Amino acid sequence: MIEFDDVHASYEATLPILKGVSFTIRDGEFVAFVGTNGAGKSTTMRLVNGLLKPDAGQVLIDGVPTTELRTSELARRVGFLFQNPDSQICCNTVREELLFGFKALGQAGPEADERVDAIIEEFGFDADDDPFLLNRGARQLLALASIVVLAPPVVVLDEPTTGLDYRECAKVMDIVRRIHERGTTVIMVCHDMEVVADYATRCIVMSDGTVVDDAPTFDVLRNRDTLERASLVPPQIVDLSFELARDMPQLAETAVARANTVDEMLAAVAEEARTTQDVERSVCA
Amino acid sequence: MIEISNFSFKYRESDQPVVSGIDLTIPDGAFVGITGAAGSGKSTLTYALNGIIPHCYPGDFYGSVVIDGLDTCDVVLTDVSQVVGSVCQDVDSQFVTSIVEDEVLYGLENFGVPRDEIEGRVSRALADMGISDLRDRVISSLSGGQKQKVAIASILALNPRVLVLDEPTAELDPASSQAVFDLLARYAREHGTTVVVVEQKIALLSQYADLLVIVDEGRIRFADEPAKVLEHSDELKRIGVNCPRSTTLMNRLRAEGLYGGASVRNVREAREALKEVLA
Amino acid sequence: MSSFLEYVPGTSLLHRMNPVAKLAAAALFAVACFCSSNLVFLAVLLAVGFALAATCGMMRPAIGLAKAVFAFSLILAVVQILTTSSGAVLVELPWGYIGTGSLLAALTTVVRLVAAAIPLFLVFYVTKMNDITNAVVKVLHVPYKYAFTFTSTIHFIPLFMNDMKGIMEAQTARGVEFDAGGIVRKVRLMVPLCVPLLVSSVRKTNSAAIAAEVRGFNLRGVASGYKEYPFAGYDVAVMAVAIALVACAVTLGIVL
Repeated sequence: MIEFDDVHASYEATLPILKGVSFTIRDGEFVAFVGTNGAGKSTTMRLVNGLLKPDAGQVLIDGVPTTELRTSELARRVGFLFQNPDSQICCNTVREELLFGFKALGQAGPEADERVDAIIEEFGFDADDDPFLLNRGARQLLALASIVVLAPPVVVLDEPTTGLDYRECAKVMDIVRRIHERGTTVIMVCHDMEVVADYATRCIVMSDGTVVDDAPTFDVLRNRDTLERASLVPPQIVDLSFELARDMPQLAETAVARANTVDEMLAAVAEEARTTQDVERSVCA
Repeated sequence: MIEISNFSFKYRESDQPVVSGIDLTIPDGAFVGITGAAGSGKSTLTYALNGIIPHCYPGDFYGSVVIDGLDTCDVVLTDVSQVVGSVCQDVDSQFVTSIVEDEVLYGLENFGVPRDEIEGRVSRALADMGISDLRDRVISSLSGGQKQKVAIASILALNPRVLVLDEPTAELDPASSQAVFDLLARYAREHGTTVVVVEQKIALLSQYADLLVIVDEGRIRFADEPAKVLEHSDELKRIGVNCPRSTTLMNRLRAEGLYGGASVRNVREAREALKEVLA
Repeated sequence: MSSFLEYVPGTSLLHRMNPVAKLAAAALFAVACFCSSNLVFLAVLLAVGFALAATCGMMRPAIGLAKAVFAFSLILAVVQILTTSSGAVLVELPWGYIGTGSLLAALTTVVRLVAAAIPLFLVFYVTKMNDITNAVVKVLHVPYKYAFTFTSTIHFIPLFMNDMKGIMEAQTARGVEFDAGGIVRKVRLMVPLCVPLLVSSVRKTNSAAIAAEVRGFNLRGVASGYKEYPFAGYDVAVMAVAIALVACAVTLGIVL
């Protein structure tokens, strides 16, 4: 469990970044932090794994304040995927890279080797590849794998899909979904609202160092007031559904006004078109 | 006008050409969006336009790239740069100075712009990008979006006839990305500048581009108006390019016989089309 | 907040001075430090250095820098203590002794290095990099390529330090104990991280070179700079004071 209790934080005393942030994330949740650049999302992430300590208030990981633990100790509980995989990757082969975390935590051994083998298999890596010769998407995947292999109960992802193309993005996010389904708590910062809508179950919206909304993903994405305040661009289908319901009041009670995905919207529109035709037919008759 | 004919390029250190058989004509004043999966060769295509290929990266160059009658292979890079302004992908490392004003001055000084024109050009370029108030700021203290605008302004000051940008919004949030595209489009309209943008965010490209180019495995797969290209959402997906969701929705409705119009580029067009379907 | 060697905007006299005058004065100041072994004189110069830092609001970076140079000069000081045997005997060594003279010599070294370094580094905090390059090219007619190489090296230091910080944070978050233990341990942990740093540095310098080239780097000459760098009265005065300091240092050396 991760608890923020009225957290204030800054990099320099004169420039507060977080101005009283509170929330609780329970085990097994999938939470997305959204907001513009500079809203305080990345700072919040750094507080979760103790790279930054609060100026005031408390950050509790499983009930323990982060001020009482070193970041390297917190690494057992919180895995952190940085925006740039290149700051993380430092070994000569994929296998070494995946073992690196175990060594750092003093857990190298046959069990670690087994886990590394399993991950190489699952991600479809070549164990002897040189990480620096892989392309950007594969490096991001490797950076993610080197966190996942340690099986931390919480994984924090800072813009995991930035700079990736559609296929790479889907690959990374499907693995994130898989580890979430295995019980890992996932916290991610993400600018791509389509990705947020596809994967996260809860959204925490930040603006200017404060939390402006915290609710199930689609409640947030359908809240025009929140979107406006945090300068968010809603996912296209959500936006479409909202605008249709607004412009055509007769649709307000139909599935069109509730559709969040392409499939849902498709079904809703087909249904509406069919009933309209039925009505027309009965009128003609 | 830009004419790329039968262009292929192989970097010296690789065994396969990155792009091959590229034919593309870009009329003056067009806003061109180029996209494709990672490694498809889209960045290489921009390097060919701004002369970085063949002048900075060694390799085998076939075919020709002619910009306003200037064959990029026949002249030195500096001559290409006088016509084509380029904004590179990594903004942080392309700054040569530490202050916004100096950064905009840099190119003007080098290209020998007359002294009495310089002040006007600097202030206009900053105004065009909406960052006049940042003139005296230290670049490292700016946000990602602001840095991107500085990088673009420092090129706009040179009055390029063609502007080439490599993923200008990669690090930006949706609101700032939109802002950068808005400014670019307005500038291009006002000055008749040709803009070529490589971008991962196809929703933005579809919105702003007149010509959308899809590159797949080093070849041009589509080059047409966005609405025409977007008709092929299934094939695009197969080659690693995801259409805007509103496009996918309308294309699927069309496949099911519920919609008969053209492919839509954004939510607004989808809304209007759906209103007719549902009326 | 500025990072290491990065310009901090301001309007103090030091900010407004001619870049060449600043560089020259700082260099002369350093020469003065090296010409003298008089501890009192060096201490005065050290105080002057800090006073200069105070006038332009750079006290914090100056203290930080002083600490760094101090740490470095301690190594030299230790060598000096062990190898210079002079003054009253304090500790006997197999090859000589440590005396009051050795300690004094070591102290002089430390004070000298710190005093010499402060104004030199101060120059970079109060002068835009671009102004240094342009002024050096315009006034001293240094070829632009050399000036550019020098200034971009300095320009890249904060970027690289930022990269290094990012890398260390990423590794700490993976359980590497950068946040525990002493400096030796930290350095040992850092060695493997040089690879990613090198990779990103090469990438960065390469794209920087291309970015400069497409903006007409090759066309730049002595006359290209838009800004002029005239010498004002106070520039001349400051350089005169700096020359006087060198003269003072030399005279003190001869007289005493």
